[in-house]
Amino acid sequence: MAHIHLEDGGLAIQWVVLWNIVAVLLLALAMYLFRRTKPSTRKLAIAAMCIAVGFAVFQIEIPVFGGLHVNLTPFFGIIVGPALGILCVFVINVFSAAVGHGGWGMIGANTIVNAVEVVIGYYLYRVLKVRLSQGRFESAFGATSVALAVSAVLVVLIVGISGIQGSNLSREATLNNLTVIAIADIVTGIAEGVLTGYIVSFIGRVRPDLLGDTEGIPEKGGKPVGAGTSV
Amino acid sequence: MTFFAENGNSVIHRMSPWTKAAMLPIIVVLVTLVADLYWLLIIYALSLGFYAAGRLPVKVLVGWYTFPIIFVVTLAVLFMFTVPGDQLFQFSLLGKSIALTDHGVLLVLTLLLRALAVVTYSLAVFMTTRYNQIAHLASRTMPQTLANLFLLSYRFMFETFDEVSDVLDAMHSRNGNLAKGVSRQGRLYAGIIGLAFVHAFERGERIGKAMEARGWTGSFPVVEKVMMPGAGGYAIIAFGLAMVAIAGISRYVGTIVTGWW
Repeated sequence: MAHIHLEDGGLAIQWVVLWNIVAVLLLALAMYLFRRTKPSTRKLAIAAMCIAVGFAVFQIEIPVFGGLHVNLTPFFGIIVGPALGILCVFVINVFSAAVGHGGWGMIGANTIVNAVEVVIGYYLYRVLKVRLSQGRFESAFGATSVALAVSAVLVVLIVGISGIQGSNLSREATLNNLTVIAIADIVTGIAEGVLTGYIVSFIGRVRPDLLGDTEGIPEKGGKPVGAGTSV
Repeated sequence: MTFFAENGNSVIHRMSPWTKAAMLPIIVVLVTLVADLYWLLIIYALSLGFYAAGRLPVKVLVGWYTFPIIFVVTLAVLFMFTVPGDQLFQFSLLGKSIALTDHGVLLVLTLLLRALAVVTYSLAVFMTTRYNQIAHLASRTMPQTLANLFLLSYRFMFETFDEVSDVLDAMHSRNGNLAKGVSRQGRLYAGIIGLAFVHAFERGERIGKAMEARGWTGSFPVVEKVMMPGAGGYAIIAFGLAMVAIAGISRYVGTIVTGWW
């Protein structure tokens, strides 16, 4: 997973303000797209419950590959769609900041990173599953691994551009250090891809209707359920 | 967290939630602007004092410190050995000389103090503010959609966390942790997480129907009146803003204001 684990004070104030402004614009766009679909109470309640589970899972260490800590953001994209997924990861970041899992000032930067994971996770899953007719495990694994690899690079860029406050390392040296973290994130992203593949396969066996919006599964004798309308 | 908020009784519990909420971004900006180790120690001490004044248990705080300490150390361990400065000690690793410098140690300490100051205050705020008060604050400060998501998920978060923990405990008690191998453990935990999400969906559907049955109109009605800050509250906020202004000016403009002492 990619999550900027810097606490408050890690970035200088001007960068905190900048990344939070970008995040606010992203959230505004997500809210606009979400509201355009006239969401039901049911969808809101489901998203809220998913946030609660996502936050709970976020705190758990899974003893795979030496210990894995997942945030399931690409999975959120697959299950609730990109716009609602972005809102969900923002709320998870707020809760996480409250318990010291990342700083309050870092909510903006983390929302940007997680939003990228959500969006790539959703669209790549649809391409792999619907267009290329891959299996659920393969599609979720591919989507998650790629999404987390991209976000790992994004983390390096954000922190590399902003610099770590109090560190007098050159930008090049900072980027070299961050590259080590990015490589670790990419490797754990592949591991999370495996886990997400298993989770999506499980949900597909137990409750395939929950993936209906994303996969465009047609109802019996009707049109595809929410095909292309997932936001 | 919510237990202490609902059942606690202290001067911090009785403080206006608006004062506590306003001070949170002030403290975040303050720790971001302040670079001096001694001032960060003072800010951290004040946060600890705020936490203690709320009559909150220290054991819980120490437990929650795990996250920020791990994150700061994980990130800082890379930088503390590469930041230039006066060497404190040096060793060789794989033919390469690695030195711990004074700036490296300073970097870790400042990052740690900043993190702990904010986390302590943030936890104290959530552990001394009741759910109804948080609902009032959220509905007044966030867009409706976000406020609804935040409040619904906050309401069920700890219950969900307990459910997932119970399932993990049940697995461990049945020797589920003896299962080795990526595939076996991956499927095991994927099943637990997947089931948690399926339950979340089903609970969400039930809650959605219950909300509609009770005539939910799109926003949560705020029943409890939340008091605005009193004179003392406004004084605290004004003091905080003044400190932020002084820190900002001394950092970016010069020591015009602070240089006299």
